[in-house]
Amino acid sequence: MILMQDFSFQYASGKKNALENIDLTIADGDFVGIIGNSGAGKTTLTYAINGIVPHYYSGDFYGSVVVDGMDTVESKPEELAMSVGSVFQDVDAQMVASMVEDEMLFGLENFGIPHSEIEERLSEALEQVGIADLRYRELESLSGGQKQKVAVAAIIALRPSIIVLDEPTGELDPRSSEQIFQLLKKLNETYGTTIVVVEQKIGLLCRYVKRLVLLEKGRIMLEGPVREVLKQADVMESIGMHVPRVVSLHKELVNRGLYDGPAPIGLEEAKAMTEEVLA
Amino acid sequence: MIRFENVSFGYKEEISIIRDVSFHVEKGSITAVIGANGAGKSTMARLMRGLARPDKGQILLDGVDLKTMKASALAAQIGYLFQNPDRQICKNTVKEELEFSLEHTVQDPERKEALIQEVLTALDLDPEAEPFLLSRGERQRVALASALVHKPELLILDEPTTGLDYKECTQIMEYVAGLNQEGMTVVMVCHDMEVVLDYSTRVIVMTDGHVIAEGQTKAIFQNQDTLRKAALLPPQIIGLSQMMGEGFEGISTVAEMADAIEKKAKGGAEK
Repeated sequence: MILMQDFSFQYASGKKNALENIDLTIADGDFVGIIGNSGAGKTTLTYAINGIVPHYYSGDFYGSVVVDGMDTVESKPEELAMSVGSVFQDVDAQMVASMVEDEMLFGLENFGIPHSEIEERLSEALEQVGIADLRYRELESLSGGQKQKVAVAAIIALRPSIIVLDEPTGELDPRSSEQIFQLLKKLNETYGTTIVVVEQKIGLLCRYVKRLVLLEKGRIMLEGPVREVLKQADVMESIGMHVPRVVSLHKELVNRGLYDGPAPIGLEEAKAMTEEVLA
Repeated sequence: MIRFENVSFGYKEEISIIRDVSFHVEKGSITAVIGANGAGKSTMARLMRGLARPDKGQILLDGVDLKTMKASALAAQIGYLFQNPDRQICKNTVKEELEFSLEHTVQDPERKEALIQEVLTALDLDPEAEPFLLSRGERQRVALASALVHKPELLILDEPTTGLDYKECTQIMEYVAGLNQEGMTVVMVCHDMEVVLDYSTRVIVMTDGHVIAEGQTKAIFQNQDTLRKAALLPPQIIGLSQMMGEGFEGISTVAEMADAIEKKAKGGAEK
């Protein structure tokens, strides 16, 4: 479980709080999407979970953040890393090896995974992400999207109880993005892995996560089950957020008095909505 | 503007990334290059900028083979935004970064200052800010600013909207669209199909190092077969129009879709 109580943080280099008065509980097995504009505090929120804040970025830390029973201020990042796997925004900064296989081994060996298990975990993770054919490739020869998949594979091989991902599909094409989210969903459902993911592609995100947290200027603006949050598409639009086109279509149909049902999540539901209007 | 003639390229001999590719980017267009990860899009962008040389074939900029052009001439005529902005930012302030971009392309100090001010205002940047203390989205704007501050004839953007929120994405694309109106040709590698639909006039579709289709944006998105081959999904409203079939052909915007639904719903009621 992740428990943030009246948590505020200001970077030493910052002029104002990056996050302010955050009260947030993420239960074991939850799947939460974090959305918001640039500078809203999304990345800082992920840093607070994996302990990068306050251990690698100093600053003023108020309130408390407890992850899997560990107070993040008192626990060392390496202790937190045993529970929390992180996929960072800049994958190049995350890579330590020159070959895909070595990149995967780095985490597994450092976590003290028995040698007898390493091969199985490594090949399974590569398989799950769909990059088994890249195993012996040099990282430098990979595209941005392929590197992003390697970063995800390296983390899931460690099977942490919580996975935090900061825009894991930023450089991925639509099919690969879908694949990553299908994988996250599978981990969430099969192993009960708690997943917290920052994502700009809201249309995609809504089809997979259970809950959404909308941050704006360091504060939680909206929080709740996906449909509840989407009901407030106007609030999202008012701060310049992207609203999926099918949600905009829903709003348009409601305004024209043609429909009064809930907003659709994804194309299938949009088709059902359209058919209902036409029926 | 730029023409690829039977171009092939591989970083190592055994791995070929671009395979016998030929196409032409029209002057004044905004051309999007789309395709799955690893299809060769970024490599093609690098070849176009002269950052890599074809193993076979040739690339012509206004009829001149890129191979025969000086690096300074290429830099003056072609602006380039890398996929990762951190790969191209190298100075301590935003202003220094922009001055560095203009060092070999614009000599007149007044013109230099005017160009810098224009781009600072358009992209909402603080000249004194230290680039590496900025957020990813802001760094992306700094990198974009330095790629286009000298007003190149051709601007190549490798995933210009990655890491940006919607507001920043719209801001950047509106600015680029404005420059395009003034005559700048734009080629962008992009994964966001909504952005491709909203801003590009032409699309080049790549799969496994080949160009498998080329044409007007809407026409390409209507072609389900091409999209399937390229492992791409159409923008949401086009996808919905295809699912709805008859009476919804050719629809690509929310307003068009709502109009079609309303027309059909009322037509049905009258019967």
